[in-house]
Amino acid sequence: MDEDPSAEETTFVVDEITTVIKEAVESTIGNSSYQHSQINQWMSSIVESSLSQLTKLGKPFKYIVTCIILQKNGAGLHTASSCFWDNSTDGSCTIRWENKTIYCIVSVFGLAI
Amino acid sequence: MEEYHSGDEVSFSPDDASNVVKECIEGIVGGVDYSQNKVNQWTASIVEHTLTQLVKQGKPFKYIVNCAVMQKSGAGLHTANSCYWDTTTDGSCTVRWENRTMYCVVSVFAVAIAL
Repeated sequence: MDEDPSAEETTFVVDEITTVIKEAVESTIGNSSYQHSQINQWMSSIVESSLSQLTKLGKPFKYIVTCIILQKNGAGLHTASSCFWDNSTDGSCTIRWENKTIYCIVSVFGLAI
Repeated sequence: MEEYHSGDEVSFSPDDASNVVKECIEGIVGGVDYSQNKVNQWTASIVEHTLTQLVKQGKPFKYIVNCAVMQKSGAGLHTANSCYWDTTTDGSCTVRWENRTMYCVVSVFAVAIAL
């Protein structure tokens, strides 16, 4: 009997996820400057389109997507995450993106069902 | 042989988690000013302590704790979360804390383990 390829489907693949998220961010704020009035729409659009692309991958995972947008103003920002999960199947990836006026940090956590 | 209480649905309690988080933050950055060389230690301590306290509760959950510390300097900061999970058992809570020189935002996500 052939080996079950579904073993690949149940681990978190960082590269695939990174590509999906970068596209979501680029298409939403690719060419924009920081604008206070647009931020809410941008954030909703980034997390929602990321999540729907992730669920389209069809893997047996629960997902958490968090997005931080920070105006480039000289302020210091530090973030940390700590996770209690199953190391063999669960994973996370964080994408840092910036342009002239905005920093955008998107984290995706995938937990196997 | 005693049966494990698998019939009980355990759901996440945001209030409990919120109290745990607030105590951890107060204990670590309660009376201090923003300091660039200490902030890495602070964020690491906050997430580790919070996670340890949550795990001690012994509930059948996987946890993710996220902490952001930002200097108060007039910059705009926005955060958003979106989650794809089982809404009957999983949940999250976010605690916003500030003092004179910094903001601290801690989010806890709890995902039930199927037993």
